Amino acid sequence: MNPLKTAGHPTQRIDALKRVTGTATYTSDKHFPGMLYARVLRSPHPHARVKSVDVSKAQAMPGVKAIITRDNCDVVWSSGDTRNKRYLFNNPVRYAGDAVACVAAIDRHTAEEATRLIAVEYETLPFVLDAEEALKPEAPEIQPGGNLSADDKGKREAEVYKRGSLDRGFAEADIVLEDRFQSAHHNNAQLEPRVSIALWEGDKLTVHAATQGIANCRTDIARDLKMPVENVRVVCEYMGGGFGNKNQCQDSDLMAAVLAKKTGTPVKVEFSRKEDFISVHGRWPVTQYYKVGAKKDGTLTALQVRGYSGMGPYRKGRGDQGGPEVYQCANVEQSVTTVYTNMAVSANYRAPAYPHSVFGLESVMDDIATRLKMDPLEFRLKNMTRKYRDSVEYSSIGLEQCLREGAAKFEWKKRWHEPGLDTGNIRRGAGMGMGGFGSSVGKSEAILKVDSKGQYHLYVGVTDVGTAAKTTMGLIAAEELAVPLEKVTVHWGDTADCPYSVGESGGRTTSFTGVSVVEAAKQLKKQIAEKGMPKGSDMLTASVVTDPDTKGLARYSFLADFCELEVDMSTGHIKILKFLAVHDSGRVINPLTAQSQVQGGVIQGLSMALHEELLYDKRRGIPINAGYYGARIMTHLDVPLVETMFIETDDPFGPFGAKTLGEPPIVGVVAAVANAFFNATGRRIKSLPFSRDKVLDALGKKEVLA
Amino acid sequence: MRAFANATPKNLTDAVEQVKQAKQGQKSVAIAGGGSDLLGMVKDHLVSPDVIVHLAAIKGNDTVTELAGVVKIGGNITLDALSRHPLIREKYTALADAAGVVGTPQIRNAGTLAGNVCQRPWCWYFRNGFPCFKAGGNQCFSAAGENQLHAIFGGGPSFIVHPSDTAPALVALDAKFHITGPAGERTVAAADFFTLPKVNAAKENSLAEGEILAWVEIPTAKPGTRSMYHKELDREAWTHAIVSTAVVLELDGATCRSARIVMGGVAPIPWRVPEAEKLLVGQRVTPELAVKIGETALIGATPLAKNRYKVPLAKEIVRRTVAAVAAKA
Repeated sequence: MNPLKTAGHPTQRIDALKRVTGTATYTSDKHFPGMLYARVLRSPHPHARVKSVDVSKAQAMPGVKAIITRDNCDVVWSSGDTRNKRYLFNNPVRYAGDAVACVAAIDRHTAEEATRLIAVEYETLPFVLDAEEALKPEAPEIQPGGNLSADDKGKREAEVYKRGSLDRGFAEADIVLEDRFQSAHHNNAQLEPRVSIALWEGDKLTVHAATQGIANCRTDIARDLKMPVENVRVVCEYMGGGFGNKNQCQDSDLMAAVLAKKTGTPVKVEFSRKEDFISVHGRWPVTQYYKVGAKKDGTLTALQVRGYSGMGPYRKGRGDQGGPEVYQCANVEQSVTTVYTNMAVSANYRAPAYPHSVFGLESVMDDIATRLKMDPLEFRLKNMTRKYRDSVEYSSIGLEQCLREGAAKFEWKKRWHEPGLDTGNIRRGAGMGMGGFGSSVGKSEAILKVDSKGQYHLYVGVTDVGTAAKTTMGLIAAEELAVPLEKVTVHWGDTADCPYSVGESGGRTTSFTGVSVVEAAKQLKKQIAEKGMPKGSDMLTASVVTDPDTKGLARYSFLADFCELEVDMSTGHIKILKFLAVHDSGRVINPLTAQSQVQGGVIQGLSMALHEELLYDKRRGIPINAGYYGARIMTHLDVPLVETMFIETDDPFGPFGAKTLGEPPIVGVVAAVANAFFNATGRRIKSLPFSRDKVLDALGKKEVLA
Repeated sequence: MRAFANATPKNLTDAVEQVKQAKQGQKSVAIAGGGSDLLGMVKDHLVSPDVIVHLAAIKGNDTVTELAGVVKIGGNITLDALSRHPLIREKYTALADAAGVVGTPQIRNAGTLAGNVCQRPWCWYFRNGFPCFKAGGNQCFSAAGENQLHAIFGGGPSFIVHPSDTAPALVALDAKFHITGPAGERTVAAADFFTLPKVNAAKENSLAEGEILAWVEIPTAKPGTRSMYHKELDREAWTHAIVSTAVVLELDGATCRSARIVMGGVAPIPWRVPEAEKLLVGQRVTPELAVKIGETALIGATPLAKNRYKVPLAKEIVRRTVAAVAAKA
């Protein structure tokens, strides 16, 4: 790879000082003259028909300006459900936390107290929390047509991927292993709860949103409010994280817009921390049944997975389950059934389909390696993908280097031992997990201008969800222009002057918008060469739309995670001693923020493995531990040093060969922890999280060594 | 959050008076130490006081004083100050240990000793608005529900565990609580201050309406006394104990003259285990004896469906802490 000048070196975020000195203005910091505050009333029942909503007492409370319920608001929030009509206020309510009313008042306390004066008459309905239970004939129907959610073609059946023949694969196998794994509902738990401010000027609407993508947020709002898109402006200058739960537009954006219209004054809708856990969305819980066959020499012959994804009552997320694509195997069958339940809604959370699914897959693979008395590293090197689904060439692949160079740096051969061989009360073990994450390319836009002083102005539709996207875009422009980063002023976060961007989801910003930025810089350089630099108040402008494809190649980022931990056999306490995350994300544009990105993802994964779960009272269908205290999100004291390593493959697509890095860091973490626990103790835990009761139960049992 | 008025008393007598006056005026009152938990409870609508009487406004009730035969500790001392106090660290280590592992540094900077001792339960049903015994209702949702963190001793009809870290340490150190209220002052042994749900399922202690836990006294440690508090957490900070134990041993060389062992996180009150204590008297603390102490401490445990793991865990924590205290001598 050619060395880069400006990009490719550790660079502080362009907004770092503003963020850490408290001068960055987040949506919740904003205030407008006359602005009202709004609070949401939510269903206490997991499933109930709303017989009546009496707002008279709330309406009469001094300071209350407007109340919306299903009786006077039938706005459909279309990105809240891609299969069914999901209103802002639904009847029946389908989970504990479903919105029933929203009150705007002169201050937030008045609005909140007013919600408590609203009298709602419910007729409670039977409910179901578990996906497999929800498929039984006697289960209550959550959406018209049943609890088996339709695929994107409208068919109510499992989504199935097949290649080869399972019969043949199992016939060829010397050993066959079957197992079941389960995950919990994990919350995105970003620092910034949901907040939206809406202002109307005539028929023009401005929404200050906490969004991962201003462009999609804007088109969604226009569609749901039946407005021309030109009349909607979305602004998000600084945002406080989302990890996938602030894609598209939010119900809070629409509630704010409706209330602002009704009252003729700006309205700010805010969700509390608990609402952010219960009423937004988390990662879909999965149940997976594996059946895997292999030959004595370790060659995989058959891989069958039957998975169920609990989506909550609305189909906001895809519900898919990933992982098998990183294994080379002639005979594969994967079916995923997406199911409605009366739990909290499930949708995108960083690498949505992966860490929980990969936990199951990599646990099974580790068990097979154990049975065959193979080092799990050698087993993976033997069976790792070489071509996507054994047939399509990758645009670049550094998976083998991730495994080999990572293992060398981690000192795998020294740290890993035969499972359960350690003795004594404190037992050490090492485990690993590998994975991939699709790194697509696609349509994006950028505008680049230069003024007569030689300052460049880059306009991109990013909001920077914590990935340092603004800095990355600036670096890409500076690199192509061959100028220092300070010569590029980045403009972002406002649809009034920024062009389309795909939004910061799917790890797409660098690969999509970055390509537009490179192209804009090339075109601007050409203009400068032809016309010379602009004079006086003139500017030269390059405005580009790019929409590349991968020419039939599969484009993936790859990773290998290595974990060493120790287990106190009599108290069940698990301590992470060492964690190394190795990533092939192509060229690294900014090593400093790339490292932060990986460390952040690993920390989320560790917390998911060891602590987190939105816990329900099973008899009442109500969550009982929402929030940072209850859901046991890791604290600083729990976080080990996370080492990172990048395998920089030279990818022909993406800016300077950069591939996806936003989502992959969490993919293999849970698996690496689970396998390290197995290596240390000889016991396998098959459901997340590894809470103390499960750990001590497992340690109290006989070793389950194959 | 519902609006409330703040009352800032000058002294304890004034605090009692302000509580009385508010009640006479048909106002609901809450008493705050540091207020860090109370404010959260107001926000969560678990309590909706008209008036909050802030004991933190009182000057001078936050010191540690050595008197003849006793150490007097003001109820307003912050958990942080208590955990760092040289005398408490040296002679009453279990209490310093306990104060130092409550919540987070922010909570320890605001939270007080009296507030920690009187803290309401952190059962997830109570804290999430379920109409349970502790919220004035007539059932315990954990009994047949999610009871991973609940009581294995002394439960019924409520199965909460007492949330305080300092309470087990104070019971183990044989503390006395000085209480002031509308009917005057009274003193009660720490062990008798806490009450089981079968006595009153709505409350955790014997404080009457309008009474305030004013200060605490601990008998001067006898020579050779060593103590420790160990808290087992399910993350490294900002949680209540899954299981904890305070162990106070009076040692004469290697021989134990007297012992007090109190567990936290296992019962609705700090749970003292006299049968285990007796085994130590006159004995050298060998590894075998420590195991036996752990075993004995858990005799009679009646775990619920999802908290059986607490039994082996508590045995181990008691064993380790007894052995660790003995090893300090």
